[in-house]
Amino acid sequence: MSVQYRAVSWNPAKRRYDAVLGVGVVAYLGVFTGLSAILHPSVTAETLLIRGFGTAALLLLHVILAIGPLCRLQRRFLPLLSNRRHLGVTMFVLALGHSALSVFQFHALGNENPLVSLFTSNPRYDSLRHFPFEVLGLAALIILFFMAATSHDFWLRQLSPAAWKALHMSVYAAWALLLAHVAFGALQSERNPVLAGVLITGATLIAMLHLAAALKELGRDRNRKKLTADGFVEAGRWDDIEEGRARIVCAGGERIAIFRHNGQPAALGNVCAHQGGPLGEGRILDGCVTCPWHGFQYLPESGGSPPPFREKVPTYAATVNGGLVYVRPEPRQ
Amino acid sequence: MTLLAVLAVYLGAGLLFAIIFAARGVSRLDVQAEGAGLGFRLLIVPGVTALWPFFLWSWLNGRRVE
Repeated sequence: MSVQYRAVSWNPAKRRYDAVLGVGVVAYLGVFTGLSAILHPSVTAETLLIRGFGTAALLLLHVILAIGPLCRLQRRFLPLLSNRRHLGVTMFVLALGHSALSVFQFHALGNENPLVSLFTSNPRYDSLRHFPFEVLGLAALIILFFMAATSHDFWLRQLSPAAWKALHMSVYAAWALLLAHVAFGALQSERNPVLAGVLITGATLIAMLHLAAALKELGRDRNRKKLTADGFVEAGRWDDIEEGRARIVCAGGERIAIFRHNGQPAALGNVCAHQGGPLGEGRILDGCVTCPWHGFQYLPESGGSPPPFREKVPTYAATVNGGLVYVRPEPRQ
Repeated sequence: MTLLAVLAVYLGAGLLFAIIFAARGVSRLDVQAEGAGLGFRLLIVPGVTALWPFFLWSWLNGRRVE
């Protein structure tokens, strides 16, 4: 959280995260180009770099896509989520490097403008084997550019959270375009089945992770609570909720996080006002409910962020009776 | 080629607008941009270059996010 915008809100965790990311990318490029040079000595340095940047970007995209469902399935992956936007921007830079080198290698130094050549040199849209796969890659790059360029809370506020979220969900369109880009491109000339196997394995893994996370969320929402006579829903045993932690219940069509704060129940809407993170999966730190995704905080009593911040989530009446905790599903006015 | 020329003009105008916007206009549209440093202002230039008609419209209409 910050009142005044900064380019990056650095902290020790983010520095470590980015250091690991940087070392990982450099190591991957080094190992990939080194091994490729040994196994394919006739391949030029430019081609090695094109392949290195391209595979690094695609691999990083799969890591990025896996983080969301992994965090839903297992809380220990949450530290990966906090700085995911840096992964995204890094992935775009790698994709841009791949694209720029490719355009220069295959479309520059001729009579035609390289960008015109990109669209006109291969018009075989009717062929599967000779499909102009470069255009698919360009379409994905454009999507990734808009995502990278809007990876800051300034854009979240200017575009509105709903529009920003919709824009960033287009990562799945970019992913599909890139899979097609590789399938219609490199796979057409690659005799070794390893590349096809890796591509299929990666796509299957991402799909399965998303399916598993979706089933878990559906199961949680299916467990809806019934109203008592006085308009409350029973939310389980009070003693099962640890101090500073919450239980999430689905009532009145919404998920409500019931925290135990100083021995008393405090119920808030489960959806963080920042980017929709699950508040109930966070904890109370410094007297504030803290979102596990990006650390946004809310006072348990009012649902408002501590001054000078202005975010707010709804609060709900909650009470403990006979060892059970109850919550009213209508938000307080 | 004509499409490429249109795109070049659009992005050229966008870059010019983005520089002016990052320097002067952003703090009028968003209270959290007041007093923001150079790093943030440079960071928004690529996106504003691509989406400059939206920000020009917002700036002219006095839209402000509190």
